[in-house]
Amino acid sequence: MPIPRTSLISNSYLNMADANVTIVAQASPEADPTRVNPRPARAPRPPRPNYRLIHRFPLPVNAHPVPPVIPHNPLSILSAALSYLSFLISRPSQEIHSAYFDPATSSIHVTDEKAIRALWEMGFFGKGSLSRSEPSWLEREKKRRGLLGGNTSEEATRRRREERRALKLERARSEKLLIDERLKLEAAARESGPVAPSVSESTDDTAITIEKFSVKKAMEAKYQESRLRRSQNGASVPPADSPESAQGKSVRFSSVVEQKEATSTSTAPLQGSSVTDADELDIEDILENQEHLQISNEEAFFLVYGLGVLRVFDRDQTTVIPTSTLLPLLRRNSYFPPHAEASELNPDDPFILSYVVYHHFRSLGWVVRSGVKFGTDYLLYNRGPVFSHAEFALIIIPSYNHAYWSETEERRKYVTSKQSRSWWWLHCVNRVQAQVKKSLVICYVEVPPPTGPSDDIAGLLSQYQIREFLLRRWIPNRTRD
Amino acid sequence: MEDKDEDAVRGTSVEPTQVETDLSDETQDFRLLSHLNLYARNADQGHPLQANANTHIRSSLTDTSSPGLPKRGEKDFEPNPTEHQADVLSKSRQAMHDALAHPRLHNLNSRVIAYYAPDGPAPPPGIDIEDPARFGYKGVGVNVHPDSCVYVPNPKGQYFKTTGQSDRWNRVWLLPEEALFLIERGSLDIRWPIEMTAAPDDESPEELSIPMSLQAAYACFMGRAGLTLERYTVYTGLKRTGYALARAPGWDDSAQVEGLKDQSQECASQRPLKRGAGLAGILEQIFSWAQDPLSTRSTAAGPVVGCGMHRSYNNIYRQLAMIPWYDPSLAIERDPLDTCPPFRVVFHAYRPSTPIKKSAWPAPDFRIAVVNTRETASIPTLAQLGALLESTPLDPPSGEKMKRLVYMRLRHGYRNVVMAVVDQGIVSYLRISDAAFGKEKLHETQSASMGNKRNGNFRGKKR
Repeated sequence: MPIPRTSLISNSYLNMADANVTIVAQASPEADPTRVNPRPARAPRPPRPNYRLIHRFPLPVNAHPVPPVIPHNPLSILSAALSYLSFLISRPSQEIHSAYFDPATSSIHVTDEKAIRALWEMGFFGKGSLSRSEPSWLEREKKRRGLLGGNTSEEATRRRREERRALKLERARSEKLLIDERLKLEAAARESGPVAPSVSESTDDTAITIEKFSVKKAMEAKYQESRLRRSQNGASVPPADSPESAQGKSVRFSSVVEQKEATSTSTAPLQGSSVTDADELDIEDILENQEHLQISNEEAFFLVYGLGVLRVFDRDQTTVIPTSTLLPLLRRNSYFPPHAEASELNPDDPFILSYVVYHHFRSLGWVVRSGVKFGTDYLLYNRGPVFSHAEFALIIIPSYNHAYWSETEERRKYVTSKQSRSWWWLHCVNRVQAQVKKSLVICYVEVPPPTGPSDDIAGLLSQYQIREFLLRRWIPNRTRD
Repeated sequence: MEDKDEDAVRGTSVEPTQVETDLSDETQDFRLLSHLNLYARNADQGHPLQANANTHIRSSLTDTSSPGLPKRGEKDFEPNPTEHQADVLSKSRQAMHDALAHPRLHNLNSRVIAYYAPDGPAPPPGIDIEDPARFGYKGVGVNVHPDSCVYVPNPKGQYFKTTGQSDRWNRVWLLPEEALFLIERGSLDIRWPIEMTAAPDDESPEELSIPMSLQAAYACFMGRAGLTLERYTVYTGLKRTGYALARAPGWDDSAQVEGLKDQSQECASQRPLKRGAGLAGILEQIFSWAQDPLSTRSTAAGPVVGCGMHRSYNNIYRQLAMIPWYDPSLAIERDPLDTCPPFRVVFHAYRPSTPIKKSAWPAPDFRIAVVNTRETASIPTLAQLGALLESTPLDPPSGEKMKRLVYMRLRHGYRNVVMAVVDQGIVSYLRISDAAFGKEKLHETQSASMGNKRNGNFRGKKR
């Protein structure tokens, strides 16, 4: 805010700087905490769960490492031999989870509580049908009824959004006030006539300087305020705004938000004390988990075919769909409406293309999740979404380089229609990724010519080839030096 | 127009978290310009000999010690009935007009005269080439680019450090885009050829030559020898930003590699790009079998990793790897002409700091392909994009930082090219690189550092 004054700055500019300083001086100290500390510490959060421990297995498959054999230490040999022996005698069993295929929605659901936890915790498969990603509906519901403390991520987001919206409303209000005030001033100036053109000039300058309501600053101020409040908790002074701060542009919060805050802080301890353990048990009995885990078709096939830890039942939940029929089923269901059972499989149907990519990145160790919220096909997480943001966003484009695809005019036309994407679309996707700080990866999948039906899935998958390109905006001004 | 860009550059040095907001996207408040102009005028009084106000603005901006840059103004998002807003608007408009109306003077001392040569490079009149058979075309003995069409008999000034080519009579020949750029920025005075305008028996033809107007220059040079408006837009844009540019071998769209068929077939058969299967795969299978005999692995019907006992997750991941992927480090470099226009490198760009010798251009800092969205409506197919990247040299990630950080390595890629996508005069630059995800086995580097996002080259805080 302090602007270096030099002889180069014009007169009006100096005025502006002066006015700015005075306004800052007028503002009450608590209204402008950003000057004291540009990045106020946020309110302390409840401790996070130990994600390292919860998600220590990268895949829902058990691995039993053999103790390392150190040649000059006979004990290590012994322990290794022992572990071998114990495995021979009683082989550790691999848990096989079950899911069912719902033909109405072409999706695969997991309803078993244990399977849901296992698939989510080991490898981040699927998404809660009533949650943003981790199935947390039950927990949220309990909290809503006041049974549990703590926060789920959905609640945090919701609260943040509410606050933000209230602040934006407040901003709109204050802007409107400003405009009204200015209009009044101007009208007054007009009435006083052409007495002083200098007056209008000066109003102009002050007008420029009136600080705009900034949502960001308001948020920071709010955090500061809540911290202050907590520190002087003993005094329990209601944090009403001091009257001098009510001068228009200083940061205040709408009454709605404050009321909400008050209710939330007051009810939480109250309920905590009043609800007894017995009540809790009661309600828990009544509360039935209405959420299931929905795993994408690619995830399901990977779990079945790649890892062998999932069985997919049909709608009646009686018979298991074998892998050899699951693949064609999912491929036909990747169209809408699903293709008839007798129809021939296309070598470039959406499922096989996306599965090839999914399998490839999973096999490299990435956690692959849907990128639909950023307008892409996949997001690539390192270790998992609870640990870090996804760094890469991926879009899949088929490619038809094989001579078969350019043999006839019809095929050429088909291929062109499949490959073409507009530049505007690409720019849109690219700009969205830049906004959310992800790198865009274009993943071309080379499509082989159609082959007859075959049971060799690996043979089929290895006919496809993947090539990734990284796309980023190049800004000449930044790479110049 | 300069200040906001400069601001953006300066922003990077001051606060790395703000970098991602691209200020060049915003419309600007031209009132800021009036402050700059004031500054420029002050400077003018100090040095009345200086010719161009433009260069003053530039110098005042690049001089980082000058504290005179005003801060950005507040933004109104919608019109309101206040006179104040109307005032601000009209002031801004006035400031823009003032800036545009500022007289741009040309100093006689720094005037550079050039002549248009519509027939291409030729020796000076009156000089006969003794042995025309020694040279193939009409540009005999001139030894400059055959597309050159303007010559400067008496070159001086900084611009000829990176533009033009000298012939043996010490004249500098300019390519159409170079001539157009210089005439547009007021640094060159192009004359119509003397033979066209003066009678043969006139004395002192120098004085009778007629200056070429900007419009005439556009008419003459645009479309000449492959210079499209899109290419010219990219050329001037980068040139004004400070880059030096040279035409790349792929400039001519119609140029093809001779014997293309044989070569491409050879290439295809030579490329052992598929990974995952092959000898290594077989060995691995035997190995895993020996190590883990209880495994019931079946890649044909699944499960790929088998239902047996697993010793480590790395083994599981290794067994899962079965999709062939392209390895850019094994690809053979293509001839730049063995690509599919417009996905072909047409400019080599050099940073201002790169030392340039016009007789032997160094390896470019950036390779630029120019695409017109109205002619090429679709983004490139794999064949087109692949060929474009394979025509650039291998540039694998190197350096201590890249070695440590997986994300940086992936973002850098093994080959890269800049594609300038021009949509009706608006240029979007895209840097495209060959990212070899398959070369980074993430499961093996799980414990290694991924690259600090906060300190990454352009990363800020996630939103």
